[in-house]
This record gives sequence, structure tokens and C-alpha cells, in this order.
Amino acid sequence: MLNYTLRRLFTVIPILLVLIIFSFYLMRLAPGGPFTSERPLPAAVMANVLERYGLDEPLHVQLWTYIKNIVFHFDFGPSFSQKDRTVNDVIAQGFPVTLTYGFWSAVFVLVCGVPLGVIAALRHNSFWDYTMTGLAIFSQIFPNFVLAPLMVLLFTLSWGLLPGGGWNGGQWQYVIMPAVALGTSYMAGVARLTRGSMLEVLGSPFIRTARAKGLPERTIIIRHALKPALLPTLTYMGPVFVYMITGSVFIDVFFSTGGIGQDFIDGAYSRDYSILLGLAILYSVLTFTLTLLLDLLYAWIDPKVRSNM
Amino acid sequence: MTPHPKPPLLSVRNLSIRFRTGDGMVHAVNDVSFDITRGQKLAVVGESGSGKSQIALSIMGLLARNAQAEGEILFDGSNLLKLPTSELNNIRAREIGIIFQDPMSSLNPYMTIERQLGEIVELHEGASRSTARKRALEVMDAVRIPDARNRLKSYAHEFSGGMRQRVVIAMALMCQPKLILADEPTTALDVTVQAQIMQLLDDIQRDLGTSIVLITHDLGLVAGFCEDTLVLYGGRIMEQAPTLEIFEKPGHPYTRGLLRAVPNIGDPAAKLLAIPGSPPNQRRAIASCPFHPRCVDAVTDCAEKLPQLDGGNSKRACLRPVEELT
Repeated sequence: MLNYTLRRLFTVIPILLVLIIFSFYLMRLAPGGPFTSERPLPAAVMANVLERYGLDEPLHVQLWTYIKNIVFHFDFGPSFSQKDRTVNDVIAQGFPVTLTYGFWSAVFVLVCGVPLGVIAALRHNSFWDYTMTGLAIFSQIFPNFVLAPLMVLLFTLSWGLLPGGGWNGGQWQYVIMPAVALGTSYMAGVARLTRGSMLEVLGSPFIRTARAKGLPERTIIIRHALKPALLPTLTYMGPVFVYMITGSVFIDVFFSTGGIGQDFIDGAYSRDYSILLGLAILYSVLTFTLTLLLDLLYAWIDPKVRSNM
Repeated sequence: MTPHPKPPLLSVRNLSIRFRTGDGMVHAVNDVSFDITRGQKLAVVGESGSGKSQIALSIMGLLARNAQAEGEILFDGSNLLKLPTSELNNIRAREIGIIFQDPMSSLNPYMTIERQLGEIVELHEGASRSTARKRALEVMDAVRIPDARNRLKSYAHEFSGGMRQRVVIAMALMCQPKLILADEPTTALDVTVQAQIMQLLDDIQRDLGTSIVLITHDLGLVAGFCEDTLVLYGGRIMEQAPTLEIFEKPGHPYTRGLLRAVPNIGDPAAKLLAIPGSPPNQRRAIASCPFHPRCVDAVTDCAEKLPQLDGGNSKRACLRPVEELT
């Protein structure tokens, strides 16, 4: 298992390298640059600025410097658009915010989605099942940019229960709506997926064996059925969590949380190469870490996977 | 008139099983009655779809949701068909064990063998974990799983097919039930392993006095194992007799056809005789002999009357006298 983990960690290095090189050149292909504006700067000033940020050098030299700084100093460079802030600063400030409500959103997805799916499966083809499935489909087609304004309309403007935006150091009142708005459609997906896999597992021969042992239904479900029924959900949750974090740009902007999504948008508008590149690396490291964690979790659950590691 | 002097351990009375399906009722088992006495080895033979597995499942209360069972299955004075699940759970595995036909899929792939065996005695005998482990070890030894101590923590996929079937048998033995229903226990295994498994079941029956119902389509298996045989066709009992008699003087045209279809190792050149036609359509209740469309001895009456299972020690459901059969 340790061997496997190390091997996996080792493969990140070439992947990240390719990712950096690819994104680096791709970004430079886009027209404009961080210092182009409607009224062009005087040539001398422009040359000065470019020199200060090292943008006058040939591209491959810039790339080499960039990689060197990351490897030796863990320095992702200065932001081009935000004065006196480095990319490290920007990430250190915005990322914890996004990660916090992203985490609670994932908790919401699992804690609500899984039990709903299990109950629907156990009450297969009953009123509860249909209600649950109906609700799930309904909320799955509700994108967060529809849900978020709707929630603000109800909970903030009509009932005055929750603040309509801001972060305030991550107090729970400020976390709820971003987390729920972000997670609802995924929660519905998890519920439907869990329902389906639970139904499949309950019809499998080893559950019949468990029944033949005389085990009560509750034990059969908890001890025999839950684990295999949750495997597809787990597989689904990995990429979903990454989507939730990266796809939270809208939530960050709409609720003014001060999360990393806002910086991403600003960076894209102002061609802030270093911010964009820094965030791309951050997201890919996140994706990688999560899939690895998930694979390990998978191995912990499924002995067959474990023995193949 | 009782075929066995001892009181029956389990008594199946007029059992009928129907399935509600998308296009109507399927009559899987029709008016089946038989007894099993203590220590008896009874074979239930029939082709696919003859209802033999459904009989075993109905005894365990494990029929599919769309099934309806009528009649009585008497065990220890209670009708298993009417028992609520909570009471049935006290009988399952403790009084009646079942061996399923596919050892590949009937074991939980996510639990160690120790837990899958142990949970049975923990449930029924209130055994502690360590007692349960000891018992699991004993039973694994009894079903001759080599190196049992080191295999306790193994998972199903780490065993070969034959070993998995032994684990499934071990499961049925954990509480030393009075009756074991073996539903095609060797179908998924190759011939040498088959012989070992049958030997094992034979030893169990001899040592513990367990009654065994062997459900199979393999007549060769029956010949060496069971004293009594029950032949099913279209969900009805065609013939029920001591195994020896079934083989020597089969009293039903269907049984005769079956025996003619068994390859003879002494005469490899002999032609195998298949029974013409195909199994009956069970979508309607049949009020005549289900076998008559394929029967070489059928007379007009066969298509109109339902023959009753009749006779002493050897019973048969056929309108024609034995002497007139071809």
C-alpha cells in the first residue's frame, strides 16, 4: 500500500511538469498581456515594466525561471495585476475560504444524499421512493446560478434568516448558503446513484445468503449491503469534489465570499499569467490528491482492489 | 399410508408457487407434496425451470417479491409459509441451512471468511467473537479447507471455486441444522471437485444425522448419493421412489426419457436419445399431464386428465399402467 502511494506520488511530477509547460504557452497565445490597456503606455515605460517582471526575456527562459522558483523557493511569482501581492499571498488568502465551504458542501452532499438514496432503495417503488426520485431529478436540473439567487431571495430578502453574502471569518451563517447552493445538484446525483447501486446490491446473491443466515434486515443492510452500495458513490464523489471547488467561481462571485474563484475571474480578465498558472497548478494538485485519497479509501473497502496494489 | 414410518422432519403439503410477471402469471410449482424424515437424503431432480430451486427458496422464505406461495410447509409444528420474518429468522441457518449453487457470487466479497462464518453463531447462539472464530475454524476443518487457521482472514476472491463451495457448505453447517437444502451444490465445479463435495455432504449426513435435500439436474450425482428421488416436471412431481427403483424400473415416461438421455460410458457409440419437444409453457395452469405433448406413451386421456401422484413406496403420476409403457 505504501509502495503504491509512493509510486502514485512519483507520477505527479511529470504530470505537473507537462501541465505547467502546456498552460504556460497556451496562456501566452491569448492576445494581449497584463499591461496592455486602452491607452498604450509609452514605449520606455512599457519596456521598464516588462523588464521588472522578467517578461522581456524569451519565453523558454521565463518558463525556466518560473519552474526554478517553484522548485527551489516554492515561489509562484508576483501577481501582475494586484500590486505588491504574490500568487502565494492570493492563494493563502482565498483558498481556505473556498476550501471551507467546499468541504461543508461535500459533507452536505454525502450526509443528505446517501441516506436519501438508501431510504428510497429500501422503500423501492413506494410513495417515498417516487417523492425522493422526483425531488432528486428536480434539483439536479437546477443549476447553482438559479438556486443561489432564489435562496437569497427567500432566506435573506423575504425571511431575513441568513446573510446574503460576505464571509465574516467563516461564521456558520455565512457558510450555509454557499455550501448548499453549491452542493444541491450533486446531492441529488449522489442520492440517485446510491439508490440505484443499493437496489442492485440488495438483489445480489450474497444478500440472499445473508438472509438465509437469519440476519435481521437492519444488520443485512448495514453489515452486508452498505459497503458495496457506496462504492459507486465514492467513485463519483472524487471528481465531484474537485468540480465543486473549481466550479465554485460563480458562488465566490455571487456571495462575495472572498474565495479563490474571484481571483480566478479577475486574473483571466487582466491576463494575470502568474495567478492563472498558480491556480491551475493548485487545482491539479487538488485533483490529484483527492483521487489518490479516494483510491486508497477504495482499496480499504474493497479487498480485491487492495490485493492488486 | 405413510411411505416412512418415522414422523417427518419437514412436510411439504400441496405447495404451489406462482410469479406475477409483466405478462401474466407463471406457474412455477404446482401442488407439490413430499416429506423429509430425519437423516434422509432426498434428491429433487428436474430440468431448468422445473421449479426445483423455487421449492428450496420457499422453504427458506426467500422467494422473490413477485412470488405467491400456497399450501403448507410444516416444520416443527409451524407452517413456514405463514411465519413472520422475525420468527423465520430463528429457523434460518439454525434449523435449516441452505447451500446455494453459485459459490462465486453467494459469498460477500467485502467480508472476511471468518466474519461471514462467525456472524451466524454470534446471531443464533450469542457466541462471542473468539468462540465464533473457534467454531468457524472447526467447521472449516470439517469441510477440509486446508490451512484453515491462516485462511480465516481471507476474502472470497482468494479461494478457488471448490474451496469457495466448501466455505458455502461450512456456512450451512455452522449451527448444525437438522436439514440442509443443497441447491445444485456442484454445478459450478469441475468433476473431480464435484466428487469431493458430494463425499463431504455424505460424511456430514452420516456424522451428524442431518437430512439433506439435494436439488440437481444431474442424475449421476443422485445415483451415488440419495436413497430417495423425486422427479419434477413443469412444477409437478412426476415420480417419487427409492433411487434404486428410479434407475432400475422407472415408472414414468418422463423418467425413462431422462435416463435414456444419460450418456453410457460403457457404450460410447450408443446414440443419445433426447426427449422431443420443449418444456411446457408455464404461463397457464395446466389441467392435464404437463408431459403429454412430449410423451411417447400418451393417449387421448393424457391431454384431458390430470394424473394424481399415487402408489406406495414408489409413487408415480401417470394415467397409463407401468406395464404398457414403452
